[in-house]
Amino acid sequence: MAERVPVVVGVGMTPFAANREDCTVRDLAVEAVLDCVRDAGLETLAAVQHGLTSYESDHFNRQMTLGAILHDTLGLNPTPNVRVEGGGATGALALRTAWAYLQSGLCDSMLVYGCETNGKRISAQTANQLFALSADVDWEMMVGGTYTAFYAAMMRAHMEKYGTQREHFAHVAVRNRRNAANNPIAQKPMDITVADVLNARPIAEPYTLLDCSLLSDGAAAMLLATREWAAQHSPRYAERPVVAFTGTGCGTDTMRLGDRYPHLTNFAGKRAAAQQAYRMAGISDPLAEIDVAELYDSYSGVEIQAVEDLGFVGEGEGGAAVVAGTFDHGGQLPVNPSGGLLGRGAPVGATGIAQAVEVVQQLWGAVNPARQVADARRGLTDTHAGIGSICVVNIFERQD
Amino acid sequence: MSSASVESVIEQKTVQPAWAGTDDPWEAFRQVEIITLELTQQYRHSLGKYSRFFIELANKQFYGTRCSNCERVYTPPRPLCPDCLHITGWTRLPGTGALMTYAVMHFASEVNDDVRRMSMPIILAYVLLDGSSTLFPHLLKADPQAVHTGMRVQVAYADAPVQHPIHLMHFVASEA
Ligand SMILES: [Zn+2]
Repeated sequence: MAERVPVVVGVGMTPFAANREDCTVRDLAVEAVLDCVRDAGLETLAAVQHGLTSYESDHFNRQMTLGAILHDTLGLNPTPNVRVEGGGATGALALRTAWAYLQSGLCDSMLVYGCETNGKRISAQTANQLFALSADVDWEMMVGGTYTAFYAAMMRAHMEKYGTQREHFAHVAVRNRRNAANNPIAQKPMDITVADVLNARPIAEPYTLLDCSLLSDGAAAMLLATREWAAQHSPRYAERPVVAFTGTGCGTDTMRLGDRYPHLTNFAGKRAAAQQAYRMAGISDPLAEIDVAELYDSYSGVEIQAVEDLGFVGEGEGGAAVVAGTFDHGGQLPVNPSGGLLGRGAPVGATGIAQAVEVVQQLWGAVNPARQVADARRGLTDTHAGIGSICVVNIFERQD
Repeated sequence: MSSASVESVIEQKTVQPAWAGTDDPWEAFRQVEIITLELTQQYRHSLGKYSRFFIELANKQFYGTRCSNCERVYTPPRPLCPDCLHITGWTRLPGTGALMTYAVMHFASEVNDDVRRMSMPIILAYVLLDGSSTLFPHLLKADPQAVHTGMRVQVAYADAPVQHPIHLMHFVASEA
């Protein structure tokens, strides 16, 4: 089956922004797909055999059946379509689905495009209520809970068990926003200090406003195919290193944090997802064998929990490793060079695809030199829904 | 411009994003109209197999469910034990327990009048109720400065009308 391992033919992105008021959600998808088509060197989408629409929320987008609408808008009729949804993990689950469609032989090429309008079309209060609908509504949402609070309670458990400090996760908030400064399509680059994070307005203690990621409008796209299809249809394919989608894993966990007792500090579903992806890609020492990673920093402390659950460091060692610079640009395993969800932004259905776009461009050596990770040959994306209720890990590698 | 007016229009403007540059392929589509769109829904929302929990709260009783196969006790209740796939039964708990983790919230989801009436900050508490195998999430009404993990807490029942039945209870620090 090795000859069916999907390769990346093209990638596309819109800039992420708090308010793309020049666009409806379908306009955003069109921009990202056009960018992807041009990147692949295609004239039209006529040869593409399948589409995959990635978006989370009918409430945020005010439109259902976006798969049908976007196939129509993009001129993809009567090409088959499938829509994938998995909360915050939607985009990564979409790519994982494409892996399976291509490996199965159901199609030889698949255009994966994700879009979402989570930005300023609604108030922050309404946005929080809509996100809370993805919590356990009758139990967690109706008491007034927010995702920030669920994550904060989880982080408090991590702090109390392992001695993790607010300064440790503030380092993530500072670094990822600084990384965003080298990404021209990032939503909110900031040059801030650890003290700025600690002194910002508390949202759900221990998290302040600057520990929280962004609400964004945006879209991202990736064209995946067999090597044979890529060589036949994309003039760009031969011009750059082959990047293959060599591993994918998915794991789940309970909706509510309290049902994980006594294991409150970390993401068991992420651990399971990583182990599957590593087995598939033949990775035994992820810290040494992965060169660049885009991690799901929905809150700053989540990156600390992620580097532990992905096996980069042991459980409880994430805070110290983060402040030691292990994951900074120039460190042993640079993470979130794009700026992450904290600095680049997070239009939900596009997020997991955008993470993969960054990793693939890093492997191609095609990003702004200021954020390019030298000699990157293998990259990872980590994406999850809820407080890790659905976790997806995808791995891409150069094969030249 | 026509003299007809549209009540929902907030503004009309030309949007020129910085990234579009000087050679903007979308130049013909930069005029934007923004309107107010309101969609509201109201449901006849059944609490289904979880209903008895809420009904008993009005009687100032706290119930979980228990699996007769593995003897795990679930709060919030689960009609199905996910470990054994056995159908559970109701079991009454004393409503006392210990705080295992929490978050001090300065911003809540204002999903009902009960939450809208609260003044911030509020504490989202995860409580291991005596006799339960899982943590129950609810608000702990206490001074955040006086709260710490491990502290004893208990269920307090509402004395005034509430909008949503989950607010028939909250947690308070134990009197003992
Ligand atoms: Zn059982």
